[in-house]
Amino acid sequence: MAWNEIVCTIFLALGCVVTLTGSVGLVRMPDFYARLHTAGKTDSLAQLLILFGLVFVTPGPVDEIGGWLIRVKLLMVGMILIIAAPTATHAITKAAHLSGLKPWTKTDPGGEPK
Amino acid sequence: MTTIVIIDTLLLLLVTATAIAIIEVRSLYASAMLTSVYSLLMALVWVNMHSMDVAFTEAAVGGGISTILLIGTLVHLPREEKKLKKRLHAPAAITCALAGAALIYGTLDMPNFGDPMAPIHHYRVPEMMSQTVGFINQTKGKQPAPEGFDPYAYRTFNGAVQGIPKDPTDTAWRETSIIAQRGIMVPQVLTPGHEPHHEAGHHLHPPDDFNGHIPNSVTSLLAGYRGYDTMFETTVIFTAGVSLIMLLRRPRREGEAQKSAPMTDQVILRVVTKMSIPFILLFGLYVITHGELGPGGGFQGGVVLACGFILFALVFGRPALYRVLPPRVTDVLTGVGVLIYSGTGAACLFFGGKFLDYSALNAASPGEGEALGMTLVEYGVGITVSMVMLTIFNQLAEEQSK
Repeated sequence: MAWNEIVCTIFLALGCVVTLTGSVGLVRMPDFYARLHTAGKTDSLAQLLILFGLVFVTPGPVDEIGGWLIRVKLLMVGMILIIAAPTATHAITKAAHLSGLKPWTKTDPGGEPK
Repeated sequence: MTTIVIIDTLLLLLVTATAIAIIEVRSLYASAMLTSVYSLLMALVWVNMHSMDVAFTEAAVGGGISTILLIGTLVHLPREEKKLKKRLHAPAAITCALAGAALIYGTLDMPNFGDPMAPIHHYRVPEMMSQTVGFINQTKGKQPAPEGFDPYAYRTFNGAVQGIPKDPTDTAWRETSIIAQRGIMVPQVLTPGHEPHHEAGHHLHPPDDFNGHIPNSVTSLLAGYRGYDTMFETTVIFTAGVSLIMLLRRPRREGEAQKSAPMTDQVILRVVTKMSIPFILLFGLYVITHGELGPGGGFQGGVVLACGFILFALVFGRPALYRVLPPRVTDVLTGVGVLIYSGTGAACLFFGGKFLDYSALNAASPGEGEALGMTLVEYGVGITVSMVMLTIFNQLAEEQSK
């Protein structure tokens, strides 16, 4: 196994673990806001980790422009995701808040829109 | 089981689950979102099959714009589906089961996925691959078929052909074929049972009719081989846009202010939108222009452009969009796209070729003429598609602000 494959595997594994924590949180959290909290954050990080891992195993020589074309494209996708995903989470949360969804608390475990 | 099959099985299970969920869910919003999820899953299936152009279209049209338009429509509808009494409708169930069984029976005749002996790999694709554009052996433009490739060899369907062994696991024949020697996919045809399509009319196209001269074979098929089809598809979209305008647009009364809801307090959304819109538009133009080289083209790029404008309208309000792109301009541009497409065809006539025979555009280098013609045509498609999508969105939004 070459060094770049090892690095890629580490990044991919990290990404998978983070996604898994997000999925567990999505199932276990009590209300909408908390679920979005886990899903939004972990998704952004995991996508970034996975894309960054893939940069290391992209075919193409390192000293030529052809190989870097794909690597730079992958990093650009990562840049877009790091801006777009949190914004989408923010928009969804704000929309829920504006439409009157109350967050869950221990004393008031309702959390239904009024 | 290969990795591809495992991934495909998982994806198709998810697709089935989503389809069932779409039927079962009562909330129409959830149903619209699930349709988007379904499209994205299908896009992944296409990617798994290495058909990037289809995946791109599915993601852009199915996952992107149709979700926006569906939700725009839902604003006029109640939130929930009407409650129906659930009971089995026997004739419907039997019809569905029979249709499904017939479809499954039909797939039995299809070649296995990735089978090198599938008819498509023996027939159209080799011809297309044998005439490539670009630089091969320092020659530019349309290339003649390589030595040893006889396009008429498998046009005599007497069944007495040799080359490919019957055993599909025996791949040694490929080493001696032109694939290995020339680096292009031209199999040595044919054994009985592996003969290409022999329907009358299907194999009678002259080889020259196949405009496989630009790097992306899908675009070459779409704009060259099936140029008429694509032109009339564009016309269909244009007609849809025009009918929508005639059905929904009402003369606006003078002095009546447009009600708008610009999200003035949504600082994050405004900033991110302002930041990303130039890149969305740039990406749309890139997709249209790059259509002849890689996945993409007029349909996908046009949808991406329309999404950029729709995002602008959603965050800054429709009056702001109308200042950038008044309805009069979008109406005119809708027609201009179709005009560019058919005008390119007419220009080919003018230069002495056939209608939509792009190689006539550049007599010195037919390959470059093809590339130029297809780029022009893609721009025509892109302009029409984006403007029609924008018109649909505008009309839906106009309806709801009344």
